[in-house]
Amino acid sequence: MGAEEKEKTNPREDDGEIRIGVYVCHCGLNIAGSVDCGEVAKFAATLPHVVWAQDNRYTCSDQGQEQIKKDIKEHKLNRVVVASCSPRLHEPTFRKTCEDAGLNKYLFEMANIREHCSWVHLYDRQSATEKAKDLVKMAVAKAARLQSAKEIEVPIIRKALVIGGGVAGIQAALDLADTGYKVYLVEKEPSIGGMMARIDKTFPTMDCSICILAPKMSDVGHHPNIELLANSEVTDVKGYIGNFHVKILKRPRFVKNDCSACGECSKVCPVIAPNKFDAGLAIRHAIYTPFAQAVPSTYIIDMNLCLNKDGVTVCDKCMKACERQAIDFEMKPETVEIDVGTIIVAIGADVFDPSSLQNYGYGKYLNVITSLEFERLINAGGPSGGHLIRPSDLEIPRRVAFIQCVGSRSDKSGRLYCSNVCCMNTIKDSLLIKEHWPETEIHVFYVDIRAYGKGFEDLYKRARKEGVLFIRGLPAEIVEDRKTHNLWLVGENTLQKELYKVNVDMAILSVGLEPRKDSEPIQRLLTLSRTQDGFFMEAHPKLRPVDAATGGIFFAGCAESPKDIKDSVTQASAAAARAGILMAKGKVTVEAITPIFYPERCKVCGLCAKVCPYNAIVLNKELKRVELVKAACGGCGTCAAECPFDALTQDHFTDEQIISQIDAVTESDADKKIVAFCCNWCAYAGADFAGVSRMQYPPSVRIIRTMCSGRVAPKFVERAFARGAAAVLVAGCHPGDCHYINANYQTQKRVERLWKKMEQQGLDKERLQLLWASAAEGERFASKIREMNRLVEKVSPEEINNAKKVFEKALGGD
Amino acid sequence: MEASKALVPKEDIRKLLDGEKLEHCFECGICTASCSIADLLGKDYNPRNLLEKIFLNPDAVLASYEPWLCAWCYRCYKRCPQGLKLPEIFLYMRTAAVKNAFTQPLEIAFEKIVDNIPLSIVTTLVCFHPERAGLEIKKILDMIEHIRIEHLKKLKKKKTVKSSGEKIAVIGSGPAGLTVASELARKGHKITIFEAFSEPGGMLRKCIPEYRLPKWVLAKEIQFIEDLGVEIKTGVKVGEDVNFDDLRKGNYRAIFIGTGANKSQAFKIEGGDLEGVIHAIEFLWNANYKEKVKVGKDVVVIGGGNVAMDTAKTALRLNADKVTILYRRSKEEMPAIPWEVKEAENEGVKIEFLVAPKKILGKNGKVSAVECVRIQLGEPDESGRRKPTPIEGSEFTRETDMVILAIGEIPDLGFLPKEIELNEDNTVWVNPITMETSVEGIFAGGDAVTGPATIIEAIRAGKRAAESIENYVKSLAR
Amino acid sequence: MPERIRHAPLDMGKATFPKAKIQLIKDQCKGCGFCIRFCPQKVLEESQEINARGVHPPKIVDESKCLACGFCTAVCPDFAIFIIEKPSKEDVKNG
Ligand SMILES: Cc1cc2nc3c(=O)[nH]c(=O)nc-3n(C[C@H](O)[C@H](O)[C@H](O)COP(=O)(O)OP(=O)(O)OC[C@H]3O[C@@H](n4cnc5c(N)ncnc54)[C@H](O)[C@@H]3O)c2cc1C
Ligand SMILES: Cc1cc2nc3c(=O)[nH]c(=O)nc-3n(C[C@H](O)[C@H](O)[C@H](O)COP(=O)(O)OP(=O)(O)OC[C@H]3O[C@@H](n4cnc5c(N)ncnc54)[C@H](O)[C@@H]3O)c2cc1C
Ligand code: SF4
Ligand code: SF4
Ligand code: SF4
Ligand code: SF4
Repeated sequence: MGAEEKEKTNPREDDGEIRIGVYVCHCGLNIAGSVDCGEVAKFAATLPHVVWAQDNRYTCSDQGQEQIKKDIKEHKLNRVVVASCSPRLHEPTFRKTCEDAGLNKYLFEMANIREHCSWVHLYDRQSATEKAKDLVKMAVAKAARLQSAKEIEVPIIRKALVIGGGVAGIQAALDLADTGYKVYLVEKEPSIGGMMARIDKTFPTMDCSICILAPKMSDVGHHPNIELLANSEVTDVKGYIGNFHVKILKRPRFVKNDCSACGECSKVCPVIAPNKFDAGLAIRHAIYTPFAQAVPSTYIIDMNLCLNKDGVTVCDKCMKACERQAIDFEMKPETVEIDVGTIIVAIGADVFDPSSLQNYGYGKYLNVITSLEFERLINAGGPSGGHLIRPSDLEIPRRVAFIQCVGSRSDKSGRLYCSNVCCMNTIKDSLLIKEHWPETEIHVFYVDIRAYGKGFEDLYKRARKEGVLFIRGLPAEIVEDRKTHNLWLVGENTLQKELYKVNVDMAILSVGLEPRKDSEPIQRLLTLSRTQDGFFMEAHPKLRPVDAATGGIFFAGCAESPKDIKDSVTQASAAAARAGILMAKGKVTVEAITPIFYPERCKVCGLCAKVCPYNAIVLNKELKRVELVKAACGGCGTCAAECPFDALTQDHFTDEQIISQIDAVTESDADKKIVAFCCNWCAYAGADFAGVSRMQYPPSVRIIRTMCSGRVAPKFVERAFARGAAAVLVAGCHPGDCHYINANYQTQKRVERLWKKMEQQGLDKERLQLLWASAAEGERFASKIREMNRLVEKVSPEEINNAKKVFEKALGGD
Repeated sequence: MEASKALVPKEDIRKLLDGEKLEHCFECGICTASCSIADLLGKDYNPRNLLEKIFLNPDAVLASYEPWLCAWCYRCYKRCPQGLKLPEIFLYMRTAAVKNAFTQPLEIAFEKIVDNIPLSIVTTLVCFHPERAGLEIKKILDMIEHIRIEHLKKLKKKKTVKSSGEKIAVIGSGPAGLTVASELARKGHKITIFEAFSEPGGMLRKCIPEYRLPKWVLAKEIQFIEDLGVEIKTGVKVGEDVNFDDLRKGNYRAIFIGTGANKSQAFKIEGGDLEGVIHAIEFLWNANYKEKVKVGKDVVVIGGGNVAMDTAKTALRLNADKVTILYRRSKEEMPAIPWEVKEAENEGVKIEFLVAPKKILGKNGKVSAVECVRIQLGEPDESGRRKPTPIEGSEFTRETDMVILAIGEIPDLGFLPKEIELNEDNTVWVNPITMETSVEGIFAGGDAVTGPATIIEAIRAGKRAAESIENYVKSLAR
Repeated sequence: MPERIRHAPLDMGKATFPKAKIQLIKDQCKGCGFCIRFCPQKVLEESQEINARGVHPPKIVDESKCLACGFCTAVCPDFAIFIIEKPSKEDVKNG
């Protein structure tokens, strides 16, 4: 595929007279509260090409939409602009409205006067109204240059990949497999099961955890549609929604599938080590299975431990013991390559390591343990066979304390959020102790007990009834009595306002959950974003809670946020359903935001091919031309920004369209304005978040949305300055978090080049700013604008003029 | 709801609580349980509760004595999961109270201090610091002395306690030892303090600079205690002049070890024996005792604790032109009390972080420069502290004519018999609740148990120990 | 599970390890060093001694680490080292 002309689907709409309809939404009082919508609509009516303008209470309501449809017909509108909320919220709604009325959806444009205007300038009605007018002007200017487009359709591979085999991953895999899709389940540990396999009973029902999980695990092992890849890791992901090409590294087990899990090998193995599955509280051999119900049940040799680690078969005890001759020291790592259409990420969470809290002495005092260690301790399959014993003397403790919120809800010693499961887990554990050893004295030191779910309050009440003592106030320190290894807990009972000194035999730190420390490769390979907490970020917290922002990828379980088993399973089924919907459709449309190529201008320099993160442009040296693979294009537009000869532009974000927006901003009072280019996924979303959070900042900024900051060509920045803008902001995702793999590296390079130029020309380079802000960093965005506004107030007319002169060339063509 | 009428704007409170970062108190009580004053004063002082009062109704707190009772040890801050700087929030309230002429609360606070805390004048000057709110020291001293005298009058009116005839030995006359002595003397016991040094008072006498604690104030405090019938034998070093076992064999019913942490930590560095290199404790001692103390023009202090701050400030007062502190970690990790650091910086002390000395260079046997290396902090280790590692090739030399080593003090416990168990860091192990050592009838407290800490913590330990000794002696009598 | 293990296994006492008495026939050793090189537990080391054949025979550094795999016996070309297995319940430090 070489040169490709732009397809024109509906020439009637594009050619001839441009007739724009503008709708200014009140959004109840959300916008009308600080913007005079009537005035904005009146202003819109005066703009070129606008043949119809009105304000209404809720444009997104059925009524509002019907009105638009009616007007399209009645007033022969061939472009529609809605000034309301963020396009990230309602663009799909209005595009559909246009389509219903027979208007190509790419002829629709939005002005964000809520998140970017009324909500962030709550107390300055006049400036907010002026800014809203500007935003509408920009949208109208772009609308006049919009062109209809047809989306290409890509087939979806009807296979799914599930990463992580905890209860969430297991549920998602089973649901999809039962629906009839082929599923690959990748688990990095030797067995699936995750955290749930390690805990004893589960709240609130007090079911035996492994008893309810094991049947599901074995279903996974036997399901004809599931291919389980345990002891494996995803090493590479290429492609896009519907067509992911994935590489998986399968580490050798050194035991073949012929293994019948008889365990004879383990008995003769001379080497031992602490079993990680048991939190190190029990021993295992170099050849082992982490726990009795493991799936796959095939044993595994820990090669860091085996006497044959150096590649010489020194010891063959297990080999001799194995009747089925399943042991194979020659096994090598294998790379498996698969193609899938959807991916579910279910990598779970880690538990907080309390070693850093010196005042609790974890790691120093034998009888201070974590709640996870406790789970293994009280588990019949654990090291003590389910007998509650304490580490120092293996005796039954008579007095036990639980300490809540360890590593949670604290900025300084742990994480800011509440970990959701620890309160109920402690209540469950206290009841377990009471069940078997009713005489045990149990103290629970807490700040708030969060028993928010179904059946939780009942369980809490039961614990109180059983005589568990709940004391509000955390110990300030734990000190050990050297002789007995008993512990003193010193703290304040904050309800009684009295200090307590409580002596116990064992203390259990109820540790929180935190994002997996080793999840960075997954984040990078799938270009996912995280919230401030560090968990993966969903596309919308309420309406798309299991979708990743990247198409075709979904979340399940604790990978998305700390949650209990029930919520993990619910979310897993939801993710399976979402993935299933896509695969059932069998195809997906790719937004028409791919490059438009003008071969006659191309000098075959190959720069575009170099910067394309998806290899969607290839330099064919033999035929001396560049070739474009639209289906592989991610839609960042960085090629268009790179091409020195204007041979490339991006559909729906053409040079002409963006320039018209810049010109609209700078038409009046340019010297008091900041022109901001924000990428759709991070910076624009971050500005939305600032709006949602009502963070206030000065009204001098005008945001132009691009899909990626990599689309921002230097000429856009130059043009803004040439037209007298006081300052320019280019904002995108943090390096490494780029939604388009690494397109924002180009952004950085381009901005650095511009800085250099400005410096050489004696301009204040501070007037051009680069910001990395994630979708969760509203405050970062807001404070950047505050900072830049101080700059705007300082910039002198001479400086503005100097910049105009320096960048004069950028006006070329006018 | 008229915000403009409020004496303390809620905005300010929000700022102090760092509202934007979502750091706010969630009432865990860790601060109160860590606070020595809360322990000493019981229900009269509760920093957590006070903070909540400030949050709910700051204006009402201006009339309360509570903000004046914080002793600036920053223990609450070090442990608070939200990192709230309680002492500084309280200082804000104190300042607002002074601005709005609420002085009555301070008087009530002094009454509580005098009632409950031995060495009340000393602690007012070196712990409670009411002057930081903008009051004159002279006025403060007058006020507290007056209250003290009234208090004594009241005491005298009460019947004198009967002598119990029990003898108790106290080793060391620092704040811990003096507290034990005064508490037990009031119970009618006969107390003998053994003090190695020629004058009583411990660190208060030896090292805390005169400008912070005038000698006459300390002398007066000790006189109060002697008036209770306490005998102080100065110049008697246990282990040299008298054996520990002799004390045990003598007819003392109980022994208290309050020997502090007075030994400079050994520090092996090339050039450490050059003229002009001195340990901080020795330097401060000289400053307190000698008429004329030699101080360099360009002084380098090595260390990051309170002693380093005092040393630097003292050197400035002794007319050093320039004083620089080198500390190998970052400001966050500094063990010194944040306020002391701020004060030192305000007085003109320069602090360089993430720098460690490699060797001290000399000319003709005298210090001429320090060779330093820059430090990088690694990942937090098992204990949660970030490990400092030198950055290779970042060495540089700094000229100087005096190097003061303030790298920490450790207890000198060679005189103790083996049965008394020690901790790994060479401090005395005690039952934290009773302050009893591993040997029955022998108690310990203060810096000897905690390592270098604060006066108020030594007093608190002394009070706890005194209670336990009283119980112990009673149990023997039964 | 990148968790840090902070407690020793509770059932350490129950662990059994094969134990062996290592027999060295020093004067039969020709100093090839195979046993030293291949012992997975690094039980052997070259000694400073000079034997009848004029070479340095191995010496036993820590017999308690030996897990009785018998590989030294197998590789020794001159039958200068062999082990006598003796089951034991003692604790052994593991690499
Ligand atoms: C001490 C404790 C007690 C609890 N008690 C209860 C209870 O009583 N009731 C209740 O409802 N909930 C309880 N929970 C919460 C419960 O454990 C979780 O809700 C549940 O395990 C979450 O399942 P998951 O599949 O999301 O994650 P996990 O169970 O953590 O599973 C994630 C899986 O992904 C694998 N993985 C990680 N990274 C990768 C990678 N890069 N590639 C491939 N695989 C990877 C992991 O090895 C693991 O197998 C408790 C939690 C803790 C810590
Ligand atoms: C320079 C400096 C400044 C300080 N500033 C402050 C401050 O501003 N605020 C604050 O709260 N804290 C401050 N401190 C800390 C405070 O001084 C100590 O925490 C406190 O003095 C400890 O009291 P103590 O009774 O345990 O020991 P010490 O005060 O050290 O008293 C121990 C006494 O025991 C004697 N002794 C030791 N061995 C023997 C023996 N074998 N026989 C007999 N006697 C013996 C010693 O001579 C000494 O007099 C400062 C410390 C220093 C060094
Ligand atoms: S070969 Fe390795 S796994 Fe097998 S018994 Fe020997 S040490 Fe154990
Ligand atoms: S320690 Fe901090 S969070 Fe806890 S009660 Fe005190 S101030 Fe509040
Ligand atoms: S600084 Fe010390 S005295 Fe003041 S409140 Fe905190 S712990 Fe108490
Ligand atoms: S038997 Fe195995 S472990 Fe023992 S010394 Fe020989 S080679 Fe080493």
